[in-house]
Amino acid sequence: MEERPKERYKCCQVGLAALLLSIGAVFPQGQADATTLRVQINADIRSTDPGINRDATTDSVVLHMVEGLVGYDAKGETRPLLAKTVDVSPDGLSYTFHLRENVKFHNGATLSADDVVWSWNRYMSPKLGWRCLPDFDGRKGFRIEEIKTVNEHTVLFTLNHPNPLFLTTMARSDCGMSAITHRDSVRPDGSWDKPIGTGPFKLKEWKHREYISLTPNADYVSPGEQPDGYVGSKRPMVDEIRFLVIPDLATAKAALLQGSIDILTRLPYNEAAELQKNPNVSVSTSSLLASFALLLQTSDPTLSNLKLRQAIASALDYEQLVQNVTYGLGVPNNSIVPISSPYYTEAEKKGHRYDLEHARKLLKESGYRGQPLKIIANKQYTYLFDSAVIAQAMLQQVGINAQIEVLEWGTQLDRWQKGNYQLMAFPYSSRMDPALNFETIIGDREKQPRKVWDDPQAIELLAQATEEPDAQVRQALFAQLHQGVIEQVPLIVLASQMALDAAQKSVVGYKASIFGSPLLWEVSKK
Amino acid sequence: MVRFILNRIVMAIPTLLIVSVAVFMMIRLIPGDPAQLLLGDLADPVELESLRQAMGLNQPWPTQFIAWFNNVLHLDLGRSISTGQDVLPLVWSRFLVSAQIVVLAVLFSSLVAVPAGIIAAWRQNSATDLVLVGTATLLVSIPTFWLGLLLLLLFAIKLSWLPVVGYVSFSEDAKGALLYIILPILTLFLHEIGVLMRMARANALEVLRLDYVTHARAKGLSERMVLMRHVFKNSFGPTWTLIGLVLGNLLGGIAVVETVFTIPGLGRLLIDAIFARDYPLIQGCLLFTATIYVVVNLLVDLLYPVFDPRVTTE
Repeated sequence: MEERPKERYKCCQVGLAALLLSIGAVFPQGQADATTLRVQINADIRSTDPGINRDATTDSVVLHMVEGLVGYDAKGETRPLLAKTVDVSPDGLSYTFHLRENVKFHNGATLSADDVVWSWNRYMSPKLGWRCLPDFDGRKGFRIEEIKTVNEHTVLFTLNHPNPLFLTTMARSDCGMSAITHRDSVRPDGSWDKPIGTGPFKLKEWKHREYISLTPNADYVSPGEQPDGYVGSKRPMVDEIRFLVIPDLATAKAALLQGSIDILTRLPYNEAAELQKNPNVSVSTSSLLASFALLLQTSDPTLSNLKLRQAIASALDYEQLVQNVTYGLGVPNNSIVPISSPYYTEAEKKGHRYDLEHARKLLKESGYRGQPLKIIANKQYTYLFDSAVIAQAMLQQVGINAQIEVLEWGTQLDRWQKGNYQLMAFPYSSRMDPALNFETIIGDREKQPRKVWDDPQAIELLAQATEEPDAQVRQALFAQLHQGVIEQVPLIVLASQMALDAAQKSVVGYKASIFGSPLLWEVSKK
Repeated sequence: MVRFILNRIVMAIPTLLIVSVAVFMMIRLIPGDPAQLLLGDLADPVELESLRQAMGLNQPWPTQFIAWFNNVLHLDLGRSISTGQDVLPLVWSRFLVSAQIVVLAVLFSSLVAVPAGIIAAWRQNSATDLVLVGTATLLVSIPTFWLGLLLLLLFAIKLSWLPVVGYVSFSEDAKGALLYIILPILTLFLHEIGVLMRMARANALEVLRLDYVTHARAKGLSERMVLMRHVFKNSFGPTWTLIGLVLGNLLGGIAVVETVFTIPGLGRLLIDAIFARDYPLIQGCLLFTATIYVVVNLLVDLLYPVFDPRVTTE
């Protein structure tokens, strides 16, 4: 029998090797244009129309292009921005805005009172769907009665009743800062075209789901001489800002380390240690005007027991919990008033006492029989999941049968809205005034199940604080409310949230802000 | 042939209708709605209701479905709640991005996997077979996201040969586009080689045992001729079907790969839409994906007789 001839077959060249070998050019990764600031955002923006179709990412981009009559300074206090001064009548019903002069829109037109009235009339139109319309149209009790020009540089707002939070609400980022835009931002058919605002940057290009490119407003004049949040010096110091849509954190981090992006914002806390060791990257943190908490559903048959809730509050070692969850970046804070708020004083520093013996004693007095208590958390915000895990361990230490249920964020949000939970690790977004912080937790739970505290006295105190113009009186009211939260434990605030941002060392002048959004004016590249 | 095609199209209609209804119902059964997600913890009942009304979410489900389906019949998949863009052009543009990666990856992996599978079968139980099967098994076992990140680490960060993030279309910059899609293609290529090679090997083994192969060898044909003329042609059919299934499956979205490499493709579009509860966009993406799946499988069936003349469309 003949032997079958052995033939050698050359294996096909693997496409991998062929592709790799054919690569001649190296993409110039580490040598991007020196005057382009590349910033990661984790999702595409929704619109460029301020306060219309928006989310936090959208706001952070759009507010580089537009400005409102007032804005927040670096401490979160409301200050004039496009207005030079704001006069409030003694009865609190009239606000007269004296506009800064020679402020230019991106199209070269000069800001006038007519532009303010036009912008506000547009916002107040129900068809537009402005995010903050309910705050100004009477549906929540407060209404702007009239907006009119007094002269070319003066606008008068007339209100239906005094509202100390009027300017604070006007400046909110989710309201688009109630930005004043030129009427050329809108097409003849009334549809939105692009933002022609007064901000330091203007829109160059929006490539959906890829990037948004901004270029400097050559005519920009800063409202202040020193950087101060949204109201100080805001000079554009780069030729372009490119917000790159990079949803995956690992990819974004790789891009930063490789030099493909310049700034990464709102990193998870566990990234700090590694990035701090990198010689090419600088890390900055900032305490936000936001908190995260463990909510307790007081209408739950088990948790309606005050002593049980107090036992839970005493069983948590806040120092250890917060240190672990924030990887050493945060500090415990049992007040819904954030640490960086001007209203955070010694009264707000008094919180729950970690005492295991006291917790066990309270637990026994409560008659708790070991019923399971479910803590809802999600993994989209890893610090919430970590908080739930550590809290569970601490509660189990005193004999509380705590279990964790992990949900997708949208589902958890739905459960929170409906009050359908026992315990929940939950983040509260930034609020610029403590009255707004307390408003998120206090209210009629029959009408709004998302509220956690419906004590009638608390509701009354909050109403007073909302209408009180005197800062000292408000401070005292907030202190009372805080005391009530500590005593009745409708929720346990764990800490104020921290922003952790990283930037290439070639980026000059950037640091994390209390707003959680990157502020890219006064930032340059070496 | 024409009757075959028409039959398949007619059969696809109830499938697509069922998909439409199922998707419509299922996404609305998921807790949370777009208004809630948009407002987050800033929502109060007044704002929530106002936004739901603006989005048309306060209409009864049947009304919403009829309105949407009526538009679908006019080739209008609605507008994205998140961005306001028309869904159909958005989905199509994203599909083209995914398609270029998928088609190239499947093409290259088929060109490598099929011969490799046949060689492994021909050299069954030898060192060659062991290495090839072992490699295929390893590649199939590795999650694509991990493989993608490893390749990113090696080629983009350590070696700096390729970009980490970004995408540019071929029409804008062909050379740049190629650099951006090499790693995603490579990731898919490596994964799919494992899948296809195992199938090709299994089919080839079956054919190698048949009498006519022995007869062909006895006639004095070279091994090369035996493998190409007899083994490949007779064993490729099932592998071709698998290629079609893989292609249809991947064209529906390679979300993991797109996320790792920040490719603005169909998979990522769908994932983002689900997290945002963007109902029109989710419905549009899934209906489009189902249609693509039907079309790809139809094409695979039409081309089957090319590889196996025993099979006809009749």
